[in-house]
Amino acid sequence: MAQQAERLRRTMMFVPGNNPAMVKDAGIYGADSIMFDLEDAVSMSEKDAARYLVYEALQTVDYGDAELVVRINGLDTPYYETDIKIMVKAGVDVIRLPKVESADMMLQLEALIADAEKEFGHEVGSTNIMAAIESAEGVLNAYEIAKSSKRMIGIALSAEDYTTDMKTHRYADGQELLFARNMILHAARAAGIAAFDTVFTNMDDEEGFYRETKLIHQLGFDGKSLVNPRQIEMVNKVYQPTKQEIENAQNVVAAIAQAHAKGSGVISMNGQMVDRPVVLRAERVMRLAKAAHLVDEEGNNIEE
Amino acid sequence: MQVQDLYLTNPLIKKKWQAFLTDCGITDFSENEVAKIDETIGIYDGETLVATGSIAGQVIKYVAVCQKGVTNGSRFNTILTELINRLMQRGIYHIFVFTKPKYVTSFEHVGFEKLAGTTKGVLLESGRPNINDYLSDIPHVVSSYDKKIAAIVMNANPFTLGHRYLIEKAAKENDSVYVFVVSQDASLFTTTERVKLVSAGVADLSNVTIVNGGDYMVSYTTFPAYFMQSADDVIAYQTTLDARLFKEKIAPELNITRRYLGSEPLSHTTNIYNQTLQRELTDNIAVSVVPRKESSTGQVISATTVRQAIATNQVKLIANMLPKTTMDFIKENMAVLQDRIKKGQKIHGN
Amino acid sequence: MEINKTAIAGTLESSDVQIMISKGTSGIQFEVESDVEKQFGDQIRQTVTDVLRQYDVKNADVKIVDKGALDMVIKARTIAAVQRALDIVDQPKWEVL
Repeated sequence: MAQQAERLRRTMMFVPGNNPAMVKDAGIYGADSIMFDLEDAVSMSEKDAARYLVYEALQTVDYGDAELVVRINGLDTPYYETDIKIMVKAGVDVIRLPKVESADMMLQLEALIADAEKEFGHEVGSTNIMAAIESAEGVLNAYEIAKSSKRMIGIALSAEDYTTDMKTHRYADGQELLFARNMILHAARAAGIAAFDTVFTNMDDEEGFYRETKLIHQLGFDGKSLVNPRQIEMVNKVYQPTKQEIENAQNVVAAIAQAHAKGSGVISMNGQMVDRPVVLRAERVMRLAKAAHLVDEEGNNIEE
Repeated sequence: MQVQDLYLTNPLIKKKWQAFLTDCGITDFSENEVAKIDETIGIYDGETLVATGSIAGQVIKYVAVCQKGVTNGSRFNTILTELINRLMQRGIYHIFVFTKPKYVTSFEHVGFEKLAGTTKGVLLESGRPNINDYLSDIPHVVSSYDKKIAAIVMNANPFTLGHRYLIEKAAKENDSVYVFVVSQDASLFTTTERVKLVSAGVADLSNVTIVNGGDYMVSYTTFPAYFMQSADDVIAYQTTLDARLFKEKIAPELNITRRYLGSEPLSHTTNIYNQTLQRELTDNIAVSVVPRKESSTGQVISATTVRQAIATNQVKLIANMLPKTTMDFIKENMAVLQDRIKKGQKIHGN
Repeated sequence: MEINKTAIAGTLESSDVQIMISKGTSGIQFEVESDVEKQFGDQIRQTVTDVLRQYDVKNADVKIVDKGALDMVIKARTIAAVQRALDIVDQPKWEVL
């Protein structure tokens, strides 16, 4: 269980819920989050089997520090309620609901999760939730969805259904997603939760993948949903902070330490007061640098 | 690896599918075979079809897999999994496959068991009830090892004095006789009716056991040529499989040492079948070909003639070919039988 | 519980196991096809037997085609197969999980 207020969520890797080989190995690629899919990756006749497989995997496989997410079937399917119960019982970190269009949908999910938590003797509130936005309506309601519940950890764009809803399809330059990406990002930032970009499915187009990842990094997304473990390293490379960024962050960290040592509540650096956003950014850069093994656990540079 | 439905009703898809199979050495696209397909699935690599398989009734067919660029067998296993799951969803738990000898191991690796084979093709099965279940349901002759036990397979469509003559002869010459009645419901007389008329016709013979032929004796699955017009090489192949299945699986379990056949002046397919049986069985099982019995007026007794007489409303002409039990049944059900013929039930062939 | 219906779960893909359960009359009868039958056959049978016991299934014929599945996969597939064979797919037996 990862309950830190902020954790890195650069990569959320999709794992088909009925595929034992992929389910068992999902932890070895170093994804920040692993998303077991009970929805689109599982055919209707195998929904039951996938649930048990993911359930047993969550009981027995060591996935290290990864945040464990399960994408359940939608509210309008006959699998929805049982998916919730089994995954709450399994103690998954996050339940991801697809096709979210309103805050009500998240509240309904939350109520069912709370029931299941009580039924299986888990602490109420221990299961987090996130929403996938896949329609125009969902995009327009992104903010109310993002702040619908204290359990919300993130909100994700799912472009395949969204572009269909918009009567278009995906293009290489991503122009068709600009509005949705910005809406979702703003909703997430305003609500203080994570924003995840959509998957990039053409495995042969490495250049296109880098282009898209750089774009969403530039916009400010926390990370990206992935379908192939090979993409993890590529995303991490894009999210890796520059030497200059690390140096700045190290300076901020040093300034904080100094202020603490002096017993001062005010952090100053170069004669200026260091305000909260700067501190938060420095902390985030250091987390990214540690994850990229550019600095050690203490934040000191690792010699090249 | 996403499995997709291939809709062969789409000519473009059918063409792609056929070309891929042809590349893999599968070339029989006769109407007989293709028309029986219920569902076809495939795996694409980009635009290219790289694996396919089909279901026809309880049979898995047209399986072909291109191994290029993937772990050996992974596509094959994906296709087989999907086909088996779809059969299960249709409520079909007993599955057959015909395949080339070189693929037998692949199928054995996924739980199929070999029933019989020729150099041209091998028949395997999976699921339940399997041949062991079938055989254990047949009453076994007590202390059979020193007994003479014979077998006869018949469609009995319907049971005639010719059939009676054959069984009676076998019953006299052996301690025990199994009469396997073809189980496929594809004939003018239904399976239930055929079994009933055979039982009634030999009720006085205490050492005769009537058994449903199931999926293993002249079944629609293993020997479809028995039920429809087919080329001679197809008949030769299917009859060889049928004969070997009988010799290797059925006869040893029931201690059958003789097989009785009626000589076959009228049916081409049955004639080839008889020749095959004589060629295949003789080492372990004595084959007795009993000449056709003639009626009191010197006609060869034949169920085909009986069916024709029903169609033309001339049953009086065949009274001397039938035991009373069959005759009574025909008289009582004349209207029903004629109606079946009118509705398209074929009366030629078997 | 009485098994009256044949059911199957799992796939023939690597790291998976296909489990078919059908009506049986004399205890739990196994048929196992596995490359590691010698080393792991007993363990596979034990895992399946344990699940069947939790469903109170006393008679069943079980056919297993193992493709190198971990114990947790065998357990998950057996649960799915039993639930299907007992026609209770929509009612998971929570105490078994």
